[in-house]
Amino acid sequence: MGIADFLQPFASSLTYICVLVLATFAITLIFKTSATTNFAQGTVAALGCYVASTFLISKQWNIWLSLLMGIVFGILIGLFIDLVIFRNGRNVNLVGKQIITMGIVSILGNGIPMIWKYLAPPTFPGLTNQLNTPPIVLDIAGKSLTITVHSLICLGLTIAIIGVLFVLLKFSKWGLGVRTTASNEYVAQMMGVNTYAITAISWGIAGGLGALACVMFVGENGTLTNPFIMTEFQVNAFLAGILGGFGSFVGPVVAAVIIPVFETCVGFFANVESLRGITSWIKVISYVVVMIVIYIRPNGLFGKKVVKKV
Amino acid sequence: MEMKQYNKAPSMMFKKDNIIKQVLRKIINFLKSPIIYFVLMGIVLIVLGNLANKKIIPYSMSKTLATLVVYGIISIGFCLLLGYSGLASLGTAGFVGVGAMVAHIIIEKYPFYLYLGGQAINVSIFIALLGAIIVSIILGMFVGFISLRIEGMYLAILTLGLAEIIFQLLENIASILNGTATIKVSSSNAILWLTKLDNASKCALVTVIFVILLVLTQNLINSPTGRAMVTMKNSTSAAQAMGISLIKYRLLAFVISTVYAAIGGLLYITCVTSSLSTTDDPLLSLNTSLNILGAVIIGGSKSLWGVILGVMILFGIQPLFLNEIEFFEKNPSFMGLVSGILIVVIVMFFPGGLSQLFLELKLKVKRLFKKIKERMYGSY
Repeated sequence: MGIADFLQPFASSLTYICVLVLATFAITLIFKTSATTNFAQGTVAALGCYVASTFLISKQWNIWLSLLMGIVFGILIGLFIDLVIFRNGRNVNLVGKQIITMGIVSILGNGIPMIWKYLAPPTFPGLTNQLNTPPIVLDIAGKSLTITVHSLICLGLTIAIIGVLFVLLKFSKWGLGVRTTASNEYVAQMMGVNTYAITAISWGIAGGLGALACVMFVGENGTLTNPFIMTEFQVNAFLAGILGGFGSFVGPVVAAVIIPVFETCVGFFANVESLRGITSWIKVISYVVVMIVIYIRPNGLFGKKVVKKV
Repeated sequence: MEMKQYNKAPSMMFKKDNIIKQVLRKIINFLKSPIIYFVLMGIVLIVLGNLANKKIIPYSMSKTLATLVVYGIISIGFCLLLGYSGLASLGTAGFVGVGAMVAHIIIEKYPFYLYLGGQAINVSIFIALLGAIIVSIILGMFVGFISLRIEGMYLAILTLGLAEIIFQLLENIASILNGTATIKVSSSNAILWLTKLDNASKCALVTVIFVILLVLTQNLINSPTGRAMVTMKNSTSAAQAMGISLIKYRLLAFVISTVYAAIGGLLYITCVTSSLSTTDDPLLSLNTSLNILGAVIIGGSKSLWGVILGVMILFGIQPLFLNEIEFFEKNPSFMGLVSGILIVVIVMFFPGGLSQLFLELKLKVKRLFKKIKERMYGSY
């Protein structure tokens, strides 16, 4: 048992962590600005990925260009949801918004197979295959540690994008607007913040991040089989959101790293001979632990207590 | 005392006035009670199931009807939770799976026999029903206790996670028990007389249970318990100030909803399908929870008829009416697309659901009649 054996599972789940971080950030952004859980995040992401893979495979475009097209499409769908659907609703309440995103899941989830029916199920060869680079093999104390270039690119992209977004949140006018809207939409409006623009931009960013995340995941996985491919990430992202606490932006992102790392740690014990059967219980164990933590701290690990006033 | 006298006076008047009129009034009042309509709906469903069995209408109809009724059972439980208690849950599909699993374990693995006069009668289905109810009560109380600390959207997400845990557990238990991910209740394993039942009788059995549950729910809604739940929904602080115990009614709401879901799962595996894959069955997925939420919202979360209508629209239109048309056969997902658009449009423009829309229409028609009357006879 060398240190490479210990590090290998983490290296393998690098892409998974990146995808989850992006999905969680998008969901947190929507939760803060629109005060709703966006169930459509996964399907919007899948739609972006379908568009990207169509450009890549059918139209033979450059990988980066098609990725960009996918992201642009994700942004457009996000804007459409906010500007056309939410804005024109007749006094839509919070649960109503939730149901609308659910309806969008139904529309996209059933519409995508109809549009892409005559194509072969689009496969996304992944950044690695496209760039034709072999995985990097590190040699640590006689044992080899394999890291794919794809996961490194994903890590770089994720760190860059999340970093830029955090800087924007902290120092830009948009970030200030988001934070104000999150704390109280009406007061923000009274103070002259254009909450409509803030919300629309947030939906656009969420759609774009989703598309990027789905492309990353499919690139690792190889095939894009159905529009519900991101559901698992969505559920995990929601859990990460409440584990970290929707009160802050840092909390959910940190929790999105904690959950897969914890899962990998539990999975590590499956190497021990007597605990071999644990593999199928990893998800259950990690979810139960997350729930216990949430039960003890209902506002999340990093959240502040919300004082209710009558 | 005064009230009693007041109550007596008009009835005395009626007695003197006209006995036939009074009897007629009583009959009309009885016919107006919602229970009669539920029973009528049940009769219609049973008749349709029998017609399907005699192949007068398409044969697959009876199975479709049974499926719809099962979704109806799950949805009215959810309606009680969301529409009347204001608690959002996305764990419905998980609870359904629990009911199916209990049915599988008891009926398939450990059947119970009752020895009567030297004859062994298989009573596993009743034991399974009892078992499913007990397990779901425990589960519901667990979620109810969670709901005391975590509220609103957070609760919905948490129940979502709980459902994921349940799915994983079901998968693991199924693979431990059977070696595969499929759970089943085979008809060769005699379930009392159920094994000899054809599709129509299975449909009838499910319908009878549905009607009983509907009547129970209707009575519960109109009872003090139901009122307390509505108060709790509108304002927890006000409810507490009125002396309503949050813990009691939240637990009750979750327990009832979970029990309905588990009964739905049990009926689904015994009467609709005989085998259920724990990994990729459409019933055991997040989508089912979302669709049931959608059905309750579309129909109007404050009306049982609305919920039935919502279930009809979301789950019923395609298999009942559209499967014969070629276009829909080629595009099985088209109806899902339409229902998605419908959900969005209804929530956008009719936040109270279809039942509220009908109420508004009724009011408008009444006003129109009044106007016409005023035109004809002059206002008074």
